[in-house]
Amino acid sequence: MSDPRKPDSAEPSTHFGYQSVPESQKAQKVAEVFHSVAAKYDLMNDVLSGGMHRLWKRFTIELSGVRPGNRVLDIAGGTGDLARQFSRLVGPSGEVVLADINASMLKVGRDRLLDKGVAGNVKFVQADAEKLPFPDNHFDVVTIAFGLRNVTHKEDALRSMLRVLKPGGRLLVLEFSKPSSSLLGKAYDAYSFAFMPLAGKLITNDAESYRYLAESIRMHPDQETLKGMMVDAGFDLVTYHNMTGGIVALHRGIKP
Amino acid sequence: MLTTALLAGVEAGLNRVLALDASALPRLAALEGRVLAIDCAAPALRLYLLPGADGLRLAGHWAAPADCTLRAPASRLLQLAVRRDKTAVLHAPDVELEGNSACLLDLAAILQDLELDWEGALADWLGPLGAVAAARPLHGAGAWGSDSLASLRLNLADWLAEEARTLLGRREAEARFAELDELKLALDRLEARSERLARRLPETD
Repeated sequence: MSDPRKPDSAEPSTHFGYQSVPESQKAQKVAEVFHSVAAKYDLMNDVLSGGMHRLWKRFTIELSGVRPGNRVLDIAGGTGDLARQFSRLVGPSGEVVLADINASMLKVGRDRLLDKGVAGNVKFVQADAEKLPFPDNHFDVVTIAFGLRNVTHKEDALRSMLRVLKPGGRLLVLEFSKPSSSLLGKAYDAYSFAFMPLAGKLITNDAESYRYLAESIRMHPDQETLKGMMVDAGFDLVTYHNMTGGIVALHRGIKP
Repeated sequence: MLTTALLAGVEAGLNRVLALDASALPRLAALEGRVLAIDCAAPALRLYLLPGADGLRLAGHWAAPADCTLRAPASRLLQLAVRRDKTAVLHAPDVELEGNSACLLDLAAILQDLELDWEGALADWLGPLGAVAAARPLHGAGAWGSDSLASLRLNLADWLAEEARTLLGRREAEARFAELDELKLALDRLEARSERLARRLPETD
């Protein structure tokens, strides 16, 4: 029997940006980052991507194939960019669940959607992507936009998403990825490690969170690796679309 | 991404224009959930229109099947966009409709009935008096331009048909077409008669 007073040296570690941390601490550290940036999250998205994040999300909506009456789960939905558009597409007979592990982000998302008059068919749930609190075969579409890289056990999260999807349902993973050209990659590195923390410092007075953002993007699996992970989790017909030279990729998989 | 950005820009502008008509958005809301695909033959281009309470959503891709698909060459689609009588264009022979055409006809009717309140939009910027003062000369110029264009069209048609004799006049052309139709009917009758006679003749070796 192990002594609970001793630190558990056998606990597996994971990455938090370029740091290695015990797995149990990653979620807390990610939560601290998002608590810190929640209030100015949208503004920072616009500044750092030059508004491109709106086009990436727009393309995600186009590939979702959502129809009236569908049930959609938007994991790590943050400030509700996707949920707002899904709410319109599913109509009053459908349902959109905006889920986020972070209470601050969820609150910002809920307030923002209510301010825009989006209500009635949207529910807000604080949930961990690895242990989704929904029944099996429940959703027609599951999306996770810029959230998977913050999940500690990505394989568990993908399996959990597969479980809650109906057979024939679609998972869409929108995430930063690896630029397809090495020249673009170098320019993107310079931008990420010089400009992003500086912008974070100037706008949110928090350079560290944006340094973590840049580092976490580099630690995230590239296009082919993520595709393989989705196939291993049990998804069928997995494809991906590179956007903005591969800086962002949209993966889509179907539950068989 | 470029197409997506372009469509996003067009969509924003189009929806601002649609908002100038008081009845357009409520009528579009009735079509919420419908997906219309516009398939342009040359150049090859596919566009999806999704009407809703906020206006029209334009998309270059749409994973769900379309309720109605309109296939037409670019010239017809251009006519559809600019002509007031849109239903006449939809009945042209090179226009193909597939699926539930009612939603497309409803959308065409909404766009056909647009009455944009430019004066109201100007009033937001200039105030009611300023809007009237600015709109009056614009209305006058618009009416003068429209009258001049109609007059030019008539004069040009008269000149081409009567003076230069480059083209046939409308009535003359209609008379010729009627004669051609008569001739075609007579030819059909003659063909049928000759076939009947041929059948009556005894078969020869």
